[in-house]
Amino acid sequence: MNYAMEDTQNSAPGSVPAVQAAKLASRKGPDAQSTTKRLQTELMQLMTSSAPGISAFPSADGNLLSWTATIGGPDDTPYAGLTFKLSFAFPSNYPYAPPTVLFKTPIYHPNVDFSGRICLDILKDKWTAAYNIQTVLLSLQSLLGEPNNASPLNGEAAELWDKDPEEFKRKVIGRHQDIEDE
Amino acid sequence: MFQPQPTPYSPFSSYGAVPEFHIFQQSQSGRSGLAVDSGGPTIVQNPIFTTAANGNPSSNIAPALNFSNNTSTSTSTSRFEMAENNFDDLERQEELARSFQPNLQGSLVGEKRSSHAITEAYAKADPVYVAKTAALPQKYSHYRPVLGDGNCGWRATGFAYFETLLRLQDKAQLEEEIARMTSLNNLIARVGGFDAWMFEDMVEETVSLLRDMADSIETSPQTAEEILMQRFNESDISNNIVYHLRLLASSFLKSSPSSYQDFIPDNLGVEAYSKEWIEPPNQEIDHLGMTLLIDVLLKPIGFAVEIVYLDRSEGSQVNSHLMQPEDENGVPTNPSGPIIHLLYRPSHYDILYKDMDSSMPLQQALHDATLNPNIQVNRATSFSQQHAIQSTSMNDFTNLDLTSLLNIPGFQCAPPSHHGFPAQFHSPIEQPYAPSPISTSISPVSPGASSNGTSSNTNLSLSTNFSLQQSSALTSPAVNISHSSHAPFPPQNMQIPIHPGVPQQQISPHPGPPSIPTHPSISSQHSDLPSPTSANSPFRPSKWEWGARVTEQEGPVVFQTSTFKNSHYNTAHYNNPNFQPEEWSPECEEASNGHAGGGGGRKRST
Repeated sequence: MNYAMEDTQNSAPGSVPAVQAAKLASRKGPDAQSTTKRLQTELMQLMTSSAPGISAFPSADGNLLSWTATIGGPDDTPYAGLTFKLSFAFPSNYPYAPPTVLFKTPIYHPNVDFSGRICLDILKDKWTAAYNIQTVLLSLQSLLGEPNNASPLNGEAAELWDKDPEEFKRKVIGRHQDIEDE
Repeated sequence: MFQPQPTPYSPFSSYGAVPEFHIFQQSQSGRSGLAVDSGGPTIVQNPIFTTAANGNPSSNIAPALNFSNNTSTSTSTSRFEMAENNFDDLERQEELARSFQPNLQGSLVGEKRSSHAITEAYAKADPVYVAKTAALPQKYSHYRPVLGDGNCGWRATGFAYFETLLRLQDKAQLEEEIARMTSLNNLIARVGGFDAWMFEDMVEETVSLLRDMADSIETSPQTAEEILMQRFNESDISNNIVYHLRLLASSFLKSSPSSYQDFIPDNLGVEAYSKEWIEPPNQEIDHLGMTLLIDVLLKPIGFAVEIVYLDRSEGSQVNSHLMQPEDENGVPTNPSGPIIHLLYRPSHYDILYKDMDSSMPLQQALHDATLNPNIQVNRATSFSQQHAIQSTSMNDFTNLDLTSLLNIPGFQCAPPSHHGFPAQFHSPIEQPYAPSPISTSISPVSPGASSNGTSSNTNLSLSTNFSLQQSSALTSPAVNISHSSHAPFPPQNMQIPIHPGVPQQQISPHPGPPSIPTHPSISSQHSDLPSPTSANSPFRPSKWEWGARVTEQEGPVVFQTSTFKNSHYNTAHYNNPNFQPEEWSPECEEASNGHAGGGGGRKRST
């Protein structure tokens, strides 16, 4: 993993000419070549047609395999008005494997544990190459309003969601804290 | 999933939900690989089970092996369950998920190997496997292992698609495929509902591979093959192509849901099925997926797929299932098209190959066809003058004669036409292409005669001529001689010129319709003698000509006539100890040729 990522980082700087040259000339190269291209395309997509309440961008260090994203809590949910930062780590065979997505902003949610790890099927075995950053973010957004309480990572939150929405909301607000950029 | 056999090469490391199992299996197969190399006893060395093995010092090897196998299975199973249930342990799960891919070893698409490797791999497995794999190499000489990463079915089919295109050596077809693949983007976008930006990169890999193959197919097929192997073993390219195939299958499903609705498991519905079974990148291909892929990728260009099932079902042979392009009535639209062979073992696909280029039965048949006539003609030269003549002469109108004569048994012309009745005459030369059914039945005889001809030309030619002449009419030895003299002529001569040098009664009738007038004379003589029998069946004369064997095949009635007329010579053919050894062995060949010819005839008739 790490090796692959480093390779990619070094040899595929992510500039369009480099990718095209590679495609025309040598077919050899790190596996992440098409991954890089894909991520560039996704970036273009996000910039040209971004859904409301969602943004994502590669990390400042220029590593295209590592992104930072934000989603806004949907209205009519305990998360309304809050924004959450997430980190995306793309495997070298993306999109043929899902990215690792973590909540960086502390969040109180039945399907997110205290380390920010998320239990969402499309990020696991239901992943398909047709999904992308935007669809993942939209899915996460809807997860905020519709947690899957059948398989919670945070049992207490799952319980409170049904039993005591007030208390749930209080916990959400209490846990939430904006984090600084980088 | 749990293959019972310890094998040096583990092509069954198919994709599983839990990576841990793979890690385990990998190590296990690795160990056992060592063990197998040096024979049974080394199994004891298997480090995982060292303690157990040491416990029973090598005195008892077989139990030790069993034990290790059982242990491994149960261990991995229990771990499997643990991992499945233990959702809390996300970190571990994540880690396993990440480490899963790299743990699969070997190339995505391997080099072609002898199928005996499969037999060896199963040598210690369940008896059913042993029997089936032992029989496998007889039919499929080679196989190509495909990595069991969950894409094997897709990748195997995709690779076979490109490889078959390569084998056809048709640049134009490659160009057509480029166009077709590009145009299928519409299907993926509009019907499949996938974003163009998402799949364009994938399609581009497919198209560029096709293009590169097309560029080098004519100048250097070898290069094209290397390109294919290289691309398919470069994971990003390979995965792009594979995913393109998934998208095609998914879109095709959505384009005609009614055709496949009933095959979708669990009432998932088209969308959910696609999401669950086709689109996940490492999801094994299921039966419906394979059907879809074949329907969208292979059938439109006339490729058929034979799936060979190697499992523990009853039987000593692998079962196979052929999926080929068919019209609405289930009639194959391209029966002679290329066939892709896939070996299916539970949850894994590899590619199989037959000896020759199995994908081109037609060419093979043509090849045979070109070979056979040569052999036959050479043999036939001494004796088959008349045959050649007749065959050429009768080519066009024989069929007509046949039917009409059949319908009018008493008709005078019938007998000559029988002579002319060139079934067997066709067979030596045209057999593979379009002999009539009758020729098939008779052809086995002519070979025997022909073989005789080679061995003792004059004798045979005489004898055969005799039979012919006798049956046909009263002929002088001079005629015989003339025939035999013709023998040296190359077959072409015999075929085309219709023996201008032999103006005799006998030959002239045969050449063609114009000569029919002469027929009556001969035939009349002929029919005079055996008139009742001759009138009965138009087939009879040919049987006379060809003696006992024909009668055996066709029926006793003719046998009688032949005994009357030809018994002497026929017995000479078959009872004379001098002739027999020569007759029989080539006859076998000819007989098989006769079969091929029959096939051709059938084809034509349909």
